[in-house]
Amino acid sequence: MDSHDEIEIADRISRRRVLGTVLAALAFLGVQIVARPVFRSDGYGASGWRAYAWPFNASLLLLLLLPIGGYVWGRRVRALVNDEVSRNNSRVATAAAFWLAMFMALVVYVLPPSVGLTAREAAYLVVTPTSGFALLAFAWLESRALRDG
Amino acid sequence: MGDQLENQLREERARRQLTQAQLAELVGVSRKTINTVENGIFVPSTILALRLAKALGTTVESLFRLR
Repeated sequence: MDSHDEIEIADRISRRRVLGTVLAALAFLGVQIVARPVFRSDGYGASGWRAYAWPFNASLLLLLLLPIGGYVWGRRVRALVNDEVSRNNSRVATAAAFWLAMFMALVVYVLPPSVGLTAREAAYLVVTPTSGFALLAFAWLESRALRDG
Repeated sequence: MGDQLENQLREERARRQLTQAQLAELVGVSRKTINTVENGIFVPSTILALRLAKALGTTVESLFRLR
C-alpha cells in the first residue's frame, strides 16, 4: 500500500469514526434518557450482571477517546487516524468533560438529603452526561477538522 | 501573550499546485492535519511546522508568523 492510499484510507476511517462516535453516544444517552435504568429496581440498580451493564458500556465508550485500537489497519494508517490533530481533539474534549463532571458532582452534592441518592446513582448522574458530552465534543471537533475547505 | 498565528500554508501549497492530500503525503501526515493548519483551527507543533516547511521547500518563518 503506498502512502497516498494510506492517507485516503485514514481519511475514510476518520470520517467513519465521527459517525460511529456520534451514533454510539446518542444510543448510550438515548437509552439512559428513555429508560433511566439506574433508577429502576429491575434495571442497573438491581443486583447481578445488570448492575454492571452501564459501567461496562460507559467504559467502552470512553475508550473511543483514547488513541488505541484499529490494529488491523496497520501502524502507518493508525498513526494517521490518531494524528496530532485527533490527539489534541481528544484532549480538548476530555478537558471540557472534566469541567462538566465537576459541575455535575457539585450539583449532586447540593441536592437535598431527601432526594436520597445512593452512591451508585450519584456516580451514574456524574458519569452518564459527562461521557456522552465528551464523545459528542470529540466527534464535533473531528468533524470540523475533516470538513473540506 | 494573546498572539495569533497566521499561516501562508494554503498559498504556498497552491503555488506548488499541490492538493491537501498530496501535501499530506509529502509531509507524512493526514489530510485532516493539513486542513486544520490551513484554516487556523490547529496550531502545529514545532516538528510539524518544520516538516511542512521542508516539504514546501521554504522556511518556517515564511509559512507562519504572529499577528
